[in-house]
Amino acid sequence: MNTKNRFLPALSAAAVTALLLAACAPATPAAPTEAPAPAPTEAPAPTAAPAPTEAPAATEAPAPAAGAMMKVEAPNCDYGGTMKAIEAVDELTVKFTLCTPDPAFPYKIAGDSFAILDADYLNDTGGDSNKISENPVGTGPYKLKEWKRGESITYEAFADYWGEKAKTPTAVLRWSKEAAQRLLELQSGNADGMSNVGPDDFETVEKDPSLKLIEVPAANIFYIGFNNTIPPFDDDRVRLAFAYGINRQRIVDDYYPRGSVVATSFVPTSFAVGASPNVPWHEYNPEKAKELLKEAGKENLEVTLTYRDVVRGYLPNPGIVAQEIQAQLKEIGVNVKIEVKESGAFLDSVTAGKEAFYLLGWGADYPDATNFLDYHFGPENKQYGKPYDDIVALLKEGASTADLAKRQAAYDKVNELLKKYVPMIPVAHGGSALAFRADVEGAHANPVSALVFAVMAPPRDTFVYVQNAEPISLHCADESDGETFTACAQIYETLLRFKLGTAEVEPALAVSYESNADLTEWTFKLRPGVKFHNGATLDANDVVATMAAQWDAKNPNHKGRTGSFEYWTAYFGSFLNAQ
Amino acid sequence: MQESLSAPIATVPAREASRLRVQSPFARTMRRLLHNRSAQVGLVIISLLVLVAIFADVIAPYAYDQQIRQSGLRRRSPPCIHLLGCDRDKPQLLMGLDGNFRDLFSRVVYGSRLSLQIGFLTTGAAILIGTLLGAAAGYAGGWADNIIMRAMDVLLAFPSLLLAIAIVSVLGPGLINTLLAVAIVSIPIYARVVRSSVLSVKEMDYIAASRALGASPLRILFVRILPNSLTPVIVVGTLGIATAILDAAGLSFLGLGAQPPTPEWGLMLGEERNSVFNAPHLVFFPGIAIMITVLGFNLLGDGLRDALDPRRKA
Repeated sequence: MNTKNRFLPALSAAAVTALLLAACAPATPAAPTEAPAPAPTEAPAPTAAPAPTEAPAATEAPAPAAGAMMKVEAPNCDYGGTMKAIEAVDELTVKFTLCTPDPAFPYKIAGDSFAILDADYLNDTGGDSNKISENPVGTGPYKLKEWKRGESITYEAFADYWGEKAKTPTAVLRWSKEAAQRLLELQSGNADGMSNVGPDDFETVEKDPSLKLIEVPAANIFYIGFNNTIPPFDDDRVRLAFAYGINRQRIVDDYYPRGSVVATSFVPTSFAVGASPNVPWHEYNPEKAKELLKEAGKENLEVTLTYRDVVRGYLPNPGIVAQEIQAQLKEIGVNVKIEVKESGAFLDSVTAGKEAFYLLGWGADYPDATNFLDYHFGPENKQYGKPYDDIVALLKEGASTADLAKRQAAYDKVNELLKKYVPMIPVAHGGSALAFRADVEGAHANPVSALVFAVMAPPRDTFVYVQNAEPISLHCADESDGETFTACAQIYETLLRFKLGTAEVEPALAVSYESNADLTEWTFKLRPGVKFHNGATLDANDVVATMAAQWDAKNPNHKGRTGSFEYWTAYFGSFLNAQ
Repeated sequence: MQESLSAPIATVPAREASRLRVQSPFARTMRRLLHNRSAQVGLVIISLLVLVAIFADVIAPYAYDQQIRQSGLRRRSPPCIHLLGCDRDKPQLLMGLDGNFRDLFSRVVYGSRLSLQIGFLTTGAAILIGTLLGAAAGYAGGWADNIIMRAMDVLLAFPSLLLAIAIVSVLGPGLINTLLAVAIVSIPIYARVVRSSVLSVKEMDYIAASRALGASPLRILFVRILPNSLTPVIVVGTLGIATAILDAAGLSFLGLGAQPPTPEWGLMLGEERNSVFNAPHLVFFPGIAIMITVLGFNLLGDGLRDALDPRRKA
């Protein structure tokens, strides 16, 4: 592994040199004498590749490479997606053209699944998650040193990082399912930080002078989902009865940590638009619930409630909350059988529309209503059974303008309809917290994005973080799991990123961006001189190649782990050239 | 009047008779068992458990899924015992409240029912099937013996809990499937024990005599051989109940066995495993309950082994 790692940058450096030689030979005669010289001497050094001396040559001479500027374009907008074209305008400019206006585009592009990969590297690996996870190449402040499967991931600082270098030379990511065990690791000094403090451990952490608690704002939703095609939930009155029969206040008061609030709408109230405090959810009313069930002829109902035993900010106590719901529904004469399912199987089953009555939630990827409402109540989603056409139409209206008042008006109507149809019961926006050792400088919590290890500065030369679960791969284009994003975010970077501790975007690999008045054309100016871990330099073609691999189903690099590229389809609709 | 007359006459022959009469094996075993210290302790524990299980409705102050809501009463509250000076305004909670506001004591009491059922049912089923298989193998011999016993060897080659997990994963989680899995996993142990004991019994003279008298093979097997080969099964079975309870608790702990809100001890442990530090009573009491039950069956099993040992003289 180690020898391979040393060798690869050298190899790719040589490859880059060779390419540049071929490209620059006619234009800059000085290059041939310069290039071969450093290559042999520099090769053994793992990070200091010859590329730095070559890089300016590439940026100074865009002309020879101009013919190779990539452009991927959809023939029209009828293929089912909202992306029209992605184009490398010049060496450091990328333009995205959309079919419909998208005010949230900068937030979407800042997501960890849109991290930029080196085009040549992507071609070499064929976009295969397994190969990429073996030897990930990004532009981030850390590069992968070793992934001991089932145990830990070790990162080492990347010496040629374009921005402020990592504060700690080595970072280690570990995982443990049990909150108590994570806390024990932190207390014993084996770890510097942990994710998801157990809801009952907030006080323990605060009382311990060697630890500090950082609360994460509740940008999420926990809901009880129904499928309107599976009996007895195909009867609107049954779903409405359940909505009346669930005491959401009691669930939040009793089982959620502080910082949690009862949900009035599906979208958190902290967002600019989407939540409708003037359209509050049904009040708890068990008598009315019983009446409705009686009216529907569904007394002594027997139903099965499914959930996955995975702790999330929106649902810190899955099993216990499930039993609480069971107890509450018993009061309105509904017998609930509880069934725990394996996480992956459960999600697949929900997505396929096979779960009738389930507990699930959603954590924000970016602070906009579209991230909550469009994903869940859009035309493609089968998890609630048959989509509601009037909601779908209103969502489209809400997403196609930047005028906040108009958007809110559309979303108010959506919330009215959600209240009427009850495809789900919004229960809570759950507060959660991270804990760090008190001496870790730079400790922070991000509301929507992954934790940034590079700013962590414990008075030791290793930063150790323990999270819930092992990452699935290190190719996050085809992942949707938060634990996996934490692992990726240290290695890769996106065009824009979320400012530390906030949900606002700031430039990262792009230095600036602008859009046309319709919000359909987004142009990004790339940061010059950004190095990949393999020594290659970032240019516009890398961006186009990265995006095309996700967008175009016929692209040779459109492989990933399962090939579903969930975030791409959630944000931009169908793939290009999809069957 | 009658007493004085009859007593002197009756006693002499009675004493004579008792000296001459051979004690029945059952009575002898019982006598030995009751004199065995570890069996005494085991019997007391198990009898208590059985009583608790039978009278769970009477003993438990609340239903196992009843939430106790009262202002000022937090979930996972520690035990509150009035005799030990707990505020009398609060409800008496011998083992505290669990994570869902339910009385832990009631749940542990109802849990004894489940655990005993699990232990007896799975072991009973396993003994039934294992005995039949083992007897058939031992009595028939030859290829039947080979096939049955190699199959049992394969089953034995898996760690029992791992095999049970595999079975439950295929069948789906649930109490019934757990019972099945644990039963299947323990079959080979009994098959082996019965086979070896059948092998030795079938060479006895009285079997040859029975055969010479023209008894059918089935009659020989079920009337002559089996009753005489069951002694070791009783010992192994008693110890096996303990193992079965442990296995079922383990499966429930992993979320594969009983489903909430069933008051299964292993499930109760598993649900509150993250509260070890801030509410230790929630894992302590179900854990202790499992431990005591398993200890009881183990002690009784040990005592039985000593009592049934033919080499030991009373």
